[in-house]
Amino acid sequence: MGALLDIKGLRKEFGGVTALAGVDLTVNEGEILGVVGPNGSGKTTLFNCVTGVHKPTAGTVSWRGRDLTGIPANAVSRAGIAYTFQQAMAFTGLSVFENVQIATEHCSNTLANFPWTTPASLLEFVGLSGLSEEKAGILPFGRLRLLGLALALATRPSLILLDEPAAGLNDRETTTLVHLVEQFPEHGISVCVIDHDMKLMQMLCRRLAVLDFGSKIADGPTADVLNDPKVLEVYLGGAL
Amino acid sequence: MPVSNSLRSLLPVLILLVLFALVPLLSPSNRFLSLAISAGINVIALYGLSVLFGQTGILSMGHAALVGIGAYTAAIVARDFNVGFWLSIPLAGIMAAIVAALIGVPSLRVSGHHFVIMTFAFGQLLSIILTNGGDYTGAASGLDVQQPVALFGLSMDVLTHYYLMVVSFVALSAIASWAIINSRYGRTLRAIRENEKLAASLGINVGRHKIGAFVVSGIFAGVSGVLLAYFLRHISPSQFASFPSIYLALMVMIGGARLLLGPLAGGILVAFLPELLNLDPVQSRILYGVCLIAVILLLPNGLIAGIVAGWYRFFDRRPVQPNEPAVEREGK
Repeated sequence: MGALLDIKGLRKEFGGVTALAGVDLTVNEGEILGVVGPNGSGKTTLFNCVTGVHKPTAGTVSWRGRDLTGIPANAVSRAGIAYTFQQAMAFTGLSVFENVQIATEHCSNTLANFPWTTPASLLEFVGLSGLSEEKAGILPFGRLRLLGLALALATRPSLILLDEPAAGLNDRETTTLVHLVEQFPEHGISVCVIDHDMKLMQMLCRRLAVLDFGSKIADGPTADVLNDPKVLEVYLGGAL
Repeated sequence: MPVSNSLRSLLPVLILLVLFALVPLLSPSNRFLSLAISAGINVIALYGLSVLFGQTGILSMGHAALVGIGAYTAAIVARDFNVGFWLSIPLAGIMAAIVAALIGVPSLRVSGHHFVIMTFAFGQLLSIILTNGGDYTGAASGLDVQQPVALFGLSMDVLTHYYLMVVSFVALSAIASWAIINSRYGRTLRAIRENEKLAASLGINVGRHKIGAFVVSGIFAGVSGVLLAYFLRHISPSQFASFPSIYLALMVMIGGARLLLGPLAGGILVAFLPELLNLDPVQSRILYGVCLIAVILLLPNGLIAGIVAGWYRFFDRRPVQPNEPAVEREGK
């Protein structure tokens, strides 16, 4: 269980606003790590700095010992890091099949024993086989999220970053999502997920990191973190 | 998409073009043939523009400049190196591609409206350069093209022959455009059109592909420029300034850029509508403006896409999708 992604002292300032105030975070191989924190605590900014959407002001992001700090988004994907967006989940004007086809065609990573090498197998995995000829734009929200997951998965990543994957999903859809994500580590795909949904986090993650005002205030096994008085104070408003 | 399925989009275009190729049997007037040739030459450039606008989602308002690069390349290599029509086609294609890359690299750092303005500015810049090029570009009065055009010993300078040659070139550009649309490359461009951020997250180099699409559309424009130069036998800077560029953009929007029939319909409509309605140039400009506004408001994907959608709504009685529509599906 070596460190896959190692973030050190990551800082991001937007004008005078400090979104990230020097965050250290490690994602280990084969784990599902959760990052939680109130609105505006810097979760999405953290992802954006890793995935090349933003250039960090200071700090380093290293990936299997290689420096990834500030490289463009498409190079991040080629290095083996996939991510899903909160809003833009799929190419809504194209068919479901074409969506996954594009993602598969651009995959340049190799991952041993990767089970979903074709668009059809990916669609079957996320349960969208029957809708492959439909335009992605007509899919209901929950299905669109699953399609987004399939797109990220198609790049054969070693790490998937999920940005609020359960936002807007009902309980049944969330359970489906959890069931899918739980299978990732056994195929060599580590996961880092950010969300507000504590129920989701408890289902998915054995380890949690908590951000508040751009700083990490806790990091450890999920149960310990959820009982940490500091976390209860800032995140849950005093008591669970 | 299975090949048989995608062939269905190419077939109507080819059938139409075969019918167009039979038109000379009806002994049309020279006026009609000339108009048809001009329309066909535009359609070739429009097929390139449809790759750029329809597939990649980038609009160029300076496309006539690239047509001009093709035309001037043909005229200059004919004058200085005695290069004939056929060899000047690849040369013009390459020149236009190079210029497109030179324009594209700085311009595509910005996107959307800013890119449109950049292409417009480059288009204007080119006509200024051509006007001030002295004897080399023939300044404001332009250049003559005197080389004869022949194919297998058959003179293409007969209007009917030139017409048939242009129809063949239109067919080739439609096939090229179709091949691009249905390739991995075409899908990549559509991904960029739909969502640049998501495309980049899948490992697609968005900037490079946007420049690539501009270069590809430049090749079409360059080839159409050669046909134009040899058809008119005289070219001048004003033919490639802002108005022709706006017309090209207008034609591709009116016809519809995403479907293969769109460029053909747009090019023919804009060429023949003033003739049919007997309008003078000022009236026809007003008409184009009205058409453009109508198309943008009523048929945002162009005339052909609108007709196709109307057809399906009328004849296709599939049950309405059981899924409820996505609440918030647009990417921010």
